[in-house]
Amino acid sequence: MNIYKFFLSLALTIVMLLLMDPGSFYGLAFHEWAGLIIGLFFILHKILNWGWIKKVTVGFFGKCPGRARLNYILDVLLLAGIILMILSGIAIARTIDFSWLSLGGSRMFWRVMHTSSSFITLALFGIHLGLHWNWVLKRLHLKMAKNGKEN
Amino acid sequence: MARKISFLILSVAILVTGITGFKKLGYWDRSVRIFSFSSDVPFEGRGGRGQGDRGFEGREGRHGPGMRDPNIPDSLRQQFGPGNGERMGRDPSEGGVGTGEGRERGEFRGGKKINFRNVQWFLAVFAAFTVIVIYLDKGHILIFKKKSAVKESDNYLEADNCQERDN
Repeated sequence: MNIYKFFLSLALTIVMLLLMDPGSFYGLAFHEWAGLIIGLFFILHKILNWGWIKKVTVGFFGKCPGRARLNYILDVLLLAGIILMILSGIAIARTIDFSWLSLGGSRMFWRVMHTSSSFITLALFGIHLGLHWNWVLKRLHLKMAKNGKEN
Repeated sequence: MARKISFLILSVAILVTGITGFKKLGYWDRSVRIFSFSSDVPFEGRGGRGQGDRGFEGREGRHGPGMRDPNIPDSLRQQFGPGNGERMGRDPSEGGVGTGEGRERGEFRGGKKINFRNVQWFLAVFAAFTVIVIYLDKGHILIFKKKSAVKESDNYLEADNCQERDN
């Protein structure tokens, strides 16, 4: 299971970086479709970690360690960021017709929202990765090799 | 020891590149722009040329000289603009995406589909955030090692439950 989580996280990171510049990779059509799909992958990422989410939600105000709380708060902010990114992306989409959704608000507002939310979310992604760096190292078997050397 | 030093040098290099990317992309300005967004700015919507914040000049769907949207990267502007980015002038407030530094004439012409120039700066910023947090985390563990060890032994079961994802 962990290996799936690892590759899913890696794919999310790569796609997120490609999405940061709409013109970097096959233009706006890719940007808009991949932006929608990344939302689904994010949901999958949450489903794969559902056990942890459930436990921390239940124990958040109990005896849960501070680090788990910090990760939880960061995850909530990431979720909010991704929702805002996708929602604002839908509002300003050009190659996919979402006019039937009639989200309201000016395009400029949604455009500024899209940029700001994506920039903040990328920074949160970086912080999230930093807090899970040991987990990443374990998946890459570097931790095991290091422990082996130390022992 | 050599390994630690090489990791440290790598981390410093990532940090320096990240800070450069942060400045080039105008990361801070563009991140907090939503908090200073005002719906009273004349240009809002489709009102044409605005007089307020220079960043809100321009009109949706039209990209020409003097009609600029601060949130569209140059790569897209060049792709969708009437001509190319060079004719459109640069907005210094956009940082690297808008300063034109390093951008060569003729980019994105001839149907070029891939351009990682801006992506590499985003990667640098992303990596810098990661490195900062890794070292902050290490510092925090070093400082509070004894305290947390005692605390963890007291709440071992709870900690084990909540940190399942990290293990």
